[in-house]
Amino acid sequence: MADGQWRGARPLKSPGQGRAAHKILAGMAVLAVLLLLSVVVPLAAQAVPALNAAFLFGRAPGAIAPEAVNTVTMVAISAAVSFPLALLAGLYRVEFARPSRWTQAFDQFTGTMLSVPSIVVGLVVVDVAVVRWHWPVSTLTGMLALALMNWPLTVALVVEALQSVPGLYRDGSWALGASRWQTVTRLILPLALPQMIEQGGMAVARLMGETAVLIYTAGVNVGPGWALGGPGESLAVHLWLLRTEGVTDLASAQAAATGVVLLGLVFLVLWGSRRLAEWLQDTA
Amino acid sequence: MRADRIASLVMKGALALFIAVWVMVAVIVGAGAWRFVSANGLVGPLLSSRWSPLAAHYGILAFVVGSMAVTGLALVLAAPGVLALSVTGARILRGAPQRAFIQILTLFVAVPSVVYGWWGLSVAVPLIRRLTGTAGFGPLSAGIVLAVMIVPTFSIMALQTLRQVPSSLVEGSLGLGATEDQTLWHVILPASRAGLSQGFLVAVGRALGETIAVQMVIGGQSRVLSLLKPGATLTTQLLTDLALMPARTPGHDALDFMALWLMILMAVLVWLQSRVKGMSRG
Repeated sequence: MADGQWRGARPLKSPGQGRAAHKILAGMAVLAVLLLLSVVVPLAAQAVPALNAAFLFGRAPGAIAPEAVNTVTMVAISAAVSFPLALLAGLYRVEFARPSRWTQAFDQFTGTMLSVPSIVVGLVVVDVAVVRWHWPVSTLTGMLALALMNWPLTVALVVEALQSVPGLYRDGSWALGASRWQTVTRLILPLALPQMIEQGGMAVARLMGETAVLIYTAGVNVGPGWALGGPGESLAVHLWLLRTEGVTDLASAQAAATGVVLLGLVFLVLWGSRRLAEWLQDTA
Repeated sequence: MRADRIASLVMKGALALFIAVWVMVAVIVGAGAWRFVSANGLVGPLLSSRWSPLAAHYGILAFVVGSMAVTGLALVLAAPGVLALSVTGARILRGAPQRAFIQILTLFVAVPSVVYGWWGLSVAVPLIRRLTGTAGFGPLSAGIVLAVMIVPTFSIMALQTLRQVPSSLVEGSLGLGATEDQTLWHVILPASRAGLSQGFLVAVGRALGETIAVQMVIGGQSRVLSLLKPGATLTTQLLTDLALMPARTPGHDALDFMALWLMILMAVLVWLQSRVKGMSRG
């Protein structure tokens, strides 16, 4: 285009040259995104016949409302138990403990425990709560399992959020005469909170979709009403059960509809936590 | 200062509780595994593929091989997608499209694994069935499902690493006359080695530990590796046998033995991750 002006000082190559691999990768990325969409779009399409008010809110057998209530209550309560415990542990790890071999070992311990397969957590909870303590297969046992598996993940995300606050802030606060506790509550926590909430949203979303740990702890049935000791099938377990045991067309439409409701809840949690984090960031 | 001491005490308590509970988890699994090893030996069960708990044969070779095969297959299948998505998100898209792209990938990270399992049953298994004339259940289908499942996780981590390559390196390379492609292969990717390895290890952990999505498509039979015939992995066998072998039966100890192996593998992966982190700092 500018050949006339640049005579004698022509660039060695045009800017578009040597980008072939980038173009190929971009094309592959389009394919990969389409593949990912092929997970969600057919789910929504197959769900259409079953998505109606009776299925979502009705009381007839097969309706999804009890599973949705079980999922939300179990996740909410187990998160409400595990988050404060993890916050305290994480605060001690970052703000009070002196960095040493032990803190390193603790980080490795937490990392290992958060990646332990959820079925292993399920195995241990069945052994301890159901067999030794004689707890029923119920929402209560399900909550214990969810809280247990959420614990290390939450400790890790609290530690990460706290560590993202620069150390100079702490030095400044201490230099002004604030105690460790004052520094943590007035300065560090407000700064780390948005990240904690956003990552916490991911953790809650993971709990909502958790299946393997709940099959033998919360069970595969629902009771006539919600109860702490009552059977506590969750949406994810319901989807698994319908899809692995159900063979009728109706069951597969219901499975897809259950998946859509589950995805809706998961995305709602992600969106809500993100908005909350943004709002906190803006007001801070 | 008194608030400091009380707060520190409460926090120490929470930390101690966390460690105590999770050490107990490891001890419970370890105790069952110990009973199993003292009854059956350590090496024998690992080298035998005969799994018939009723006859007191607890060979877990088929599940170990199954876990490794499914994980390896998933990583190989996912690699091109991860490379394409991370380079596109980090080096090609800019501004608002880039942010939207990252957000969409994050949403897919949060999609529950049972939904990926649903996809496997509804899309992958019928496709394999049509292409190969088999039932469609088996490690191949499981590998495909896992690949799709780990692509978002791995891609996000790779993408963030590629973005963090100092622009001085990139511009230096371009300024010396290297093309964008040359810069990508010879500067950006090598400079991201540590972060990419980190993402790789996380992906391995996620694939190895995944239970439900694999269980839905693998078929559930103890067979040493045939990609197209029903198989099983350590996690899927735990899921199916937990109902069949209640606690305090000999078979149950075999489940603890498998669970302990999974925990040890995860510990190794986490240890490797910490080594990789050191690599990037040093």
